Amino acid sequence: MNTIGRIPAVFMFEWRRALTIPRLAWMAALMAFPPILSIFIRTTAEQERLPPVEVAAIFVYVLSPCVACMMGVFLWATPALSTELEGRSWVYLAVRPHGPISVMLGKYLVAVSWTIPVGIVSATLAVVALGADQMVRMILAECGLVVLSCVSYSAVFLLIGVIAPKRAMVLGIIYAIVFEMALALVPAAVNLLTVQYRLRCLLVRWMNMDVEMVENNPVFSEYFGDESAVWHVDALLAMTVFYLAATAALLHYREFTSASETDT
Amino acid sequence: MLIELKNTTRLYGTVIGVNDVSLSLATGAHGLLGPTGAGKTTLLNLITGQLSPTIGTVRVLGLKPRSSAELLRRIGYLPGTEGMYADVSAIEWVTYLTRIQGFNASDAKRLALQALERVQLVEHMHRKISTYSRGMRQRARLAQAIAHEPDFLILDEPFSGLDPIARHSMSVLLQQWIAEGRSLLVSSHVLYEIESLTRSFLLLSGGRLLASGSADEIHTLLTDVPSEVRLRVDKPRQMAAELLRDELVDSVRITDDGELKVTTTMSSQLGRFISRAVTEERYLVTEVRADDDSLQDVFNSLMKIHRGVA
Repeated sequence: MNTIGRIPAVFMFEWRRALTIPRLAWMAALMAFPPILSIFIRTTAEQERLPPVEVAAIFVYVLSPCVACMMGVFLWATPALSTELEGRSWVYLAVRPHGPISVMLGKYLVAVSWTIPVGIVSATLAVVALGADQMVRMILAECGLVVLSCVSYSAVFLLIGVIAPKRAMVLGIIYAIVFEMALALVPAAVNLLTVQYRLRCLLVRWMNMDVEMVENNPVFSEYFGDESAVWHVDALLAMTVFYLAATAALLHYREFTSASETDT
Repeated sequence: MLIELKNTTRLYGTVIGVNDVSLSLATGAHGLLGPTGAGKTTLLNLITGQLSPTIGTVRVLGLKPRSSAELLRRIGYLPGTEGMYADVSAIEWVTYLTRIQGFNASDAKRLALQALERVQLVEHMHRKISTYSRGMRQRARLAQAIAHEPDFLILDEPFSGLDPIARHSMSVLLQQWIAEGRSLLVSSHVLYEIESLTRSFLLLSGGRLLASGSADEIHTLLTDVPSEVRLRVDKPRQMAAELLRDELVDSVRITDDGELKVTTTMSSQLGRFISRAVTEERYLVTEVRADDDSLQDVFNSLMKIHRGVA
């Protein structure tokens, strides 16, 4: 059996282990906060006015594919290696054929599969709660962004966790703030490397938000890009594959024995 | 050849884990001995491919261990640290690790069950590991190492923290393993734990290999090392003077209870001297005891040599 064949075993084992009350409660909280916030805004706003489609779409996008999904996969994928190292359980996996890579890819799938339902439910409920026009289109767009967000952010955070397992969470937060929140908003070439930029561009295209104005304006063009939606999806998938390949390479070449495992 | 190391050195920055170790071990059972901090775990990490040597080469079953899937299929490893998932049962944990070993779900379950039967943990295998005693956890850990039926079992301090009953059952299990003709490398800092399993030893200290071979071979290494002999004799002072005069001993000491303790590199001449003295009735010798007979003393002697004490 090769690496691919072992991944389902890891996936099922980790899924079963994850079915705990604290984890479920945390996921429920992540799932609930976008719709609750939407309900709160809707009830405090003037009753008769629906929010503009663009505002509603961006609002849900920020809450669900950005915050809820990013936080969800951050908590799953970033400590994937460090928990094994700190728990001294890594050694059992490291002495299995293709063990480290199978385990990390299995955990990656667990992170993605746990967070996608959270994102989809939270985005759908948030859209419904806001009650804006083009509800179906918005739900489909937000759900698509949820899937891509989970798939790509999981790969990013998994890589960060493998690069620096001892400081994984801190580095993950720094990455999220510096790259995905700050640099992603800078209309320069550097934002092309962020997941946020691609998701933002996709939102604009899938919601058909003033695309003509965007494409004719050089500033907005930097901010939202002028490539097609397919291009952005491809870019996100390519980034994901690259991050996962880098993770696999690091796992193959680096030595991950915790200090306490050596008696020197 | 089971293990072959050539000038193997492993550095952790400026700290030496294993220092220029060369050895060849044939298939069979071997004990890896050394005090805490000797480099035993580093050596086992090199053998199991978790670490690469900084200098030199390592071959296990003819293969380079680092990232060798082929080798990892053939070895079973019980690490020195526990590192078990507390929230799963033994059967779940062993089955999971056997699946990662490369078996499909049904085979993995069957092999895990067999291994747990072998370590006599079937009765409790559905309980969460967090509820297990230390001995039960150790047996579960052994089960994960043997479940995939490896050719070569590597155990790092398997007796550590076990009560006498658990130690005995671990010894019996390992003796059965050896009796089946399979290879075993077991590390410990306590010699008597290994003495019951094998007579082939590697002695490691400060990252260096002090000695290797059978117990007898290690004894022969010590021919030039002073051995300690204790005598109960009616005239200890007179005998001490005579032994010093004849240069048969390196040092003498008379204890408070009148026992004469001597160290000598000429044990056989000393034996002849005592025999003659008794025959000629010059002394009344009631007890002669050489402390260096046990393997533990051999080990202690080698440690003294290494530390520059002897």
